[in-house]
Amino acid sequence: MTEPVLSVRDLKVQFVTRRGVLKAIDGVSFDIAPGEVLGVVGESGAGKSVTGSAVIGLIEPPGRIAGGEIRLKGERIDNLAPEAMRRVRGKRIGMIFQDPLTSLNPLYTVGEQLVETIRTHLPLSAGQARRRAIDLLAEVGIPAPDRRIDGYPHEFSGGMRQRVVIALALSAEPELVIADEPTTALDVSVQAQIITLIKRLCAERGTAVMLVTHDMGVIAETADRVAVMYSGRIVEIGPVRDVVKHPLHPYAVGLMGAIPSLETHADRLVQIRGSMPRLSAIPPGCAFHPRCERAFARCAVDRPEPLDRDRRKVACHLYDEAHAEIAS
Amino acid sequence: MTETPFVAVRNLRRVFDVSMPWLNRMLEGGQKQYLTAVDDVSFTIRRGETFALVGESGSGKSTVARMVVGLMPPSAGEVVIDGVPINDPRRAADVRALRRRIQMIFQDPYASLNPRWRVERIIAEPIRAFSLSASAREVHERVGELLTLVGLHPADGAKFPHEFSGGQRQRIAIARALASKAEFIVCDEPTSALDVSVQAQILNLMRDLQDRFGLTYLFISHNLAVVRHMASRIGVMYLGRIVEIGGGRDLFVRPQHPYTRMLLNAVPDIAMTGRLREAVQGEIPNPINPPSGCTFHPRCPFVFDRCRREVPPLEAGVACHAVSEGRIAAA
Repeated sequence: MTEPVLSVRDLKVQFVTRRGVLKAIDGVSFDIAPGEVLGVVGESGAGKSVTGSAVIGLIEPPGRIAGGEIRLKGERIDNLAPEAMRRVRGKRIGMIFQDPLTSLNPLYTVGEQLVETIRTHLPLSAGQARRRAIDLLAEVGIPAPDRRIDGYPHEFSGGMRQRVVIALALSAEPELVIADEPTTALDVSVQAQIITLIKRLCAERGTAVMLVTHDMGVIAETADRVAVMYSGRIVEIGPVRDVVKHPLHPYAVGLMGAIPSLETHADRLVQIRGSMPRLSAIPPGCAFHPRCERAFARCAVDRPEPLDRDRRKVACHLYDEAHAEIAS
Repeated sequence: MTETPFVAVRNLRRVFDVSMPWLNRMLEGGQKQYLTAVDDVSFTIRRGETFALVGESGSGKSTVARMVVGLMPPSAGEVVIDGVPINDPRRAADVRALRRRIQMIFQDPYASLNPRWRVERIIAEPIRAFSLSASAREVHERVGELLTLVGLHPADGAKFPHEFSGGQRQRIAIARALASKAEFIVCDEPTSALDVSVQAQILNLMRDLQDRFGLTYLFISHNLAVVRHMASRIGVMYLGRIVEIGGGRDLFVRPQHPYTRMLLNAVPDIAMTGRLREAVQGEIPNPINPPSGCTFHPRCPFVFDRCRREVPPLEAGVACHAVSEGRIAAA
């Protein structure tokens, strides 16, 4: 197996508040291979965006990385000094956020922002950088890029702005792109264009992608593998087709069943009772057990660790050998 | 159909004046500018039915919803609910009586509940406003009943909205809508702000309540899968017009209008892993200066001359020259 681009081991992120320490991420491990798209799904508060922020070193106090390690091509980046991290960010890790208006500076033209980013990271002259910026804009599908490069962000539509943000993220040829809800603010017809674009560009360049979204549909179409998060932990991770079609973890089963589909028609949607616990009140044992239909005594006391099962990892006692024997 | 529809919307139109202020126009020049948000929209809803309007942002679906409940007067056309035209000043007394029977549920449950009121007061407001209960005790009991109905506890009435999660707040909004024994509920993106597992709970709840009380819903959403799950009939909107209208199953299995086909093709769906998608071209144009003829023509793969000149009428559920001339095969 080739060396993964990103390797996260037992990552813990905590927020220190007056009311105690909140564990936003509690022991998350995963790898992303070159050219691979890893989807990270979960509902609000599951910790998916915090995971992304931790990887790019943007956890702000009172938050802090409390344990574990993050490696980019084998090199530890979680303990880099802020200045060194700044050089990694943008150069080796590109970012695409949900709202393209907030990731672009409204006072500078699109070209100025692209040229600045390119020249910060690559040894190019102003003219070369501008040439490259035009090429990038053409590549992300902006019509008449040699004229549009001098436009301001407000002169672009939502979908076009997100294309500019993608061009910015890819401008320094990063090894990893973190896309946090890149299509959530867009209309469906545009959403599809952007997904296709991210997927194509990263495949061509061999860039690894961490795609954070709450939209299972987007993940199902874009990702190669998917990690399902719940209360700061990965409950199931594996090939997207397996996890979507035959989820193993009871939470993943509920989540897939809760999504209305265009293809199949169900009279009632699968319902998971209750809602995700607050970070200040994560239940002991398996965090999902109070909502789980299949919980048994052990779930309330013993926290399940990820188990290898059918090409994936599942953190659930139901799939523990010892339990399987008792059950059968 | 011989049966008279419960809700009839006829040739509804709404124009917004989006001009610069008068002084700016005088100093800088420039004309008055108008935005036609809704243009010639007609549909009917039978009693006990769920009719949905889908469309992307700017298609005018929320503006239709606001006009149907009477929050905004139409520029032209009429809305008739149970035989009463709601914008007819001569029928003011009937309209007042009708108000109780129409309620609305909004998208953002954080904005639609008064943060300084206790839940009991929020839910009791319609009961008091329409003088439906005489004594304070009756009101209190009715609120408890409503809270139980939407899956909350009667004791929750003493709490404030901030003590509830998004899904629970939407349940409170539903309880408030039911408080006046409403028969027709307009739901504007009721689950768009919610997580999927919570969305499933709310959609199931809305269906249960419909079965139990025979409610009629006008359901507005941009999410095609949610619409398919909820609605028996669906209207697809594009730039202020209904481009296709039809039964839920037909529309999804045999979409006719090129825009409907494109939308269905574009939606990421969990059943479609690994599928190659056809790239959709272009974006919604600016509604202040919409394209001539059929407003979809710049993005349409079946465009020809007539589409640029004439607005296609809605015939047999589709507004498309190519379909009416039989130039595109049924999907």
